[in-house]
Amino acid sequence: MDATTLGAWMATGLTLFIFSFLYKDNPLFKLAEHLYVGVSVGYHIVKIFDSVVVNLIYKPIVEQEEIALLIPVAIGLLMLTRYLPKAAWMSRYAFAFIVGVGSGLAIPRTISAFILKQVEDTVRPLLSMAGGDGLTFSMNLLNPASNLNAIIILIGVSSVLFYFFFSIEHSGPGKVVARTGIVFLMIAFGAAFGYTVMARMSLLIGRLTDLIEFSDASYGHPTLWLLIVTVAALFLLARRRQQEPPEAH
Amino acid sequence: MTLSERMLKIDRRIIFLVIGLCTLLPLLYPVGLPIKISPEVRSIYEYIESLPERSVFLLSIDFDPASKPELHPQAIALLRHAFRKNLRVVAMTLWVSGTGMADQLLTQVAQEMGKEDGKDYVFLGWSSGGTAVIISMGQDLYKAFPSDYGGKATKGIPVLEGVQSLKDVAYAISLGAGNPGVEAWYVFGKDKYKFELGGGCTGVIAPGLYPLLRSGQINGLIGGLRGAAEYESLVGQKGRAVAGMDAQSATHFAIIVLVAICNLFYFSLRQQQGRSRQS
Repeated sequence: MDATTLGAWMATGLTLFIFSFLYKDNPLFKLAEHLYVGVSVGYHIVKIFDSVVVNLIYKPIVEQEEIALLIPVAIGLLMLTRYLPKAAWMSRYAFAFIVGVGSGLAIPRTISAFILKQVEDTVRPLLSMAGGDGLTFSMNLLNPASNLNAIIILIGVSSVLFYFFFSIEHSGPGKVVARTGIVFLMIAFGAAFGYTVMARMSLLIGRLTDLIEFSDASYGHPTLWLLIVTVAALFLLARRRQQEPPEAH
Repeated sequence: MTLSERMLKIDRRIIFLVIGLCTLLPLLYPVGLPIKISPEVRSIYEYIESLPERSVFLLSIDFDPASKPELHPQAIALLRHAFRKNLRVVAMTLWVSGTGMADQLLTQVAQEMGKEDGKDYVFLGWSSGGTAVIISMGQDLYKAFPSDYGGKATKGIPVLEGVQSLKDVAYAISLGAGNPGVEAWYVFGKDKYKFELGGGCTGVIAPGLYPLLRSGQINGLIGGLRGAAEYESLVGQKGRAVAGMDAQSATHFAIIVLVAICNLFYFSLRQQQGRSRQS
C-alpha cells in the first residue's frame, strides 16, 4: 500500500468517524477528535522548532555569527521564568517589551486602516461632478460607488451609531432612528449568517468530494468498506448499550 | 399531537440526512448551473492580466487544512493564472499549520504548468511573528526569510532577483481564513509599503472584508467556494469549486425551503394555540 492509498484510507476513515457524531456521540468520533488534537499539536511543535529554533536562532548565531540575535533570545527566555516562582517577576520585562512593541506597531496602523480610511469612505459626496454637465446623481444600486449607495451608507452608519448611543432615551423621532439602525444591523447579521451557512456547506462539499474520489477502485474502495465498518460499529455499540443494566440512581 | 407540533419536533437527524442528500446528489449527477462572475473577482483577474511578464506576484497562503475546501481551489486557480502569465511567484504562509499543505499545492501546480523551483517560483515557508513578519518583509525580505522552505538561502535565488522588500512586489494576494490574513496584509503591508493588494477568504469572514473592498483598500475579493468557482471559470480551467457549485445551490435551496416550512408550521401552531385559548 503506497502513501497516497494509505492517506486516502485514513482521510476517509477519520471523515466518517467525525460524521458519525451526527447520529450520536460515540467512541469512533472521540477517537478521531483526539487524533486531530494530538496530530495538530505535534505538527505545530515540530514546525515551530524547525523554523524558529533551528532556522531563525541556531543557524544565524552559530553559522553566520549574528551575535546580536542573542538579545531577542534572552528576552524570549525571560518568558520561561514564569515556571520558577522566585524568578517569575523577570517575565514581566519580556511581556512589557511585547505589549509595548505590539501596541506601538498596531495602534497607529489600525487607526489609519480601520477608522480614518473607513470614515473617509463613509463621507463620500452625495452628488457627483460629471464633466461639463454639472452635478449628477447616480441611482445604480449595483454600483458600490453610486450616490444612492452613498446615501444608504450614510443613513446606515448614522442610525446604527445612534442605536448604540444610550445617553438619550430612544423615544419620539429618536425611536425611529434607532429602529432604522436595528433594521440595518439585522440586514448585516443576515448577510453574515448567510455567508456562514455557505462556508459550512462548502466544508461539507469538500469532505463529500473526497469521499466520492476515494470510493474509486484505484484506492481499494475505502469509502465503501469504511462506511460498512462505521455503520457496523455504531450498530454494535448501540446493541451493547441496550444490553447494559440501567444505572442505579 | 397536530401535524405542526409533530413537524416542529422532528428528529434533527432527518434534517441532516436531507442536507446530506442535497449535497451528495448534485456532486454525483452535476447539472452545470451557470456561474455569474462578480466584479470583485473579475478585478483581481484583470489586475493579474495587466501585469507585465516576470513581475513579482506574492501569494500568502494564510490558511490551514481546516479551510481547504474553500481556499485550496482559490489558490490553485490563482497559481495557474500567475504561471500562465509567466509571473515570478513568491509564496509563503503566516499559518504554521498550513505549511505542508501550501508546499504541496504550490509544487503540484508548478509541476502541472512546467515551472521550475527557484527560477519561476519560490516557497518561503512560515516564519514566526504573525503580523510582525509582514513588517519585517517590508524592511528586508531576506531577514524575515533567511532561507526558503527547503532550507536553501534566499539570497541569490534567481526568482528573487531585484527583490529586496515588499516595495518590490507588483501584486500581493492573501488567501486568509482568519487572523493573520487579508486585514493584516492591508494594515501592516499595503498601508505602509504601498503595493497593490487583493484578497481571498472563507465565506465566514467575507462580509467583514467588503468595507475594505468598497474603500479601495483591497482591489478585489474572492469570497469562499463561490469566489473560487468564479475564478476557475475566468481562468478557463474548471476544478473542484465549479464542481461544488451545483451542490452549493441545492443545499441553499433546501435550507430556504426548510426555513420557510419551519416558519409556516410555527405560525400555524401559534394560530391553533390562540384558537384553543379563545375556546
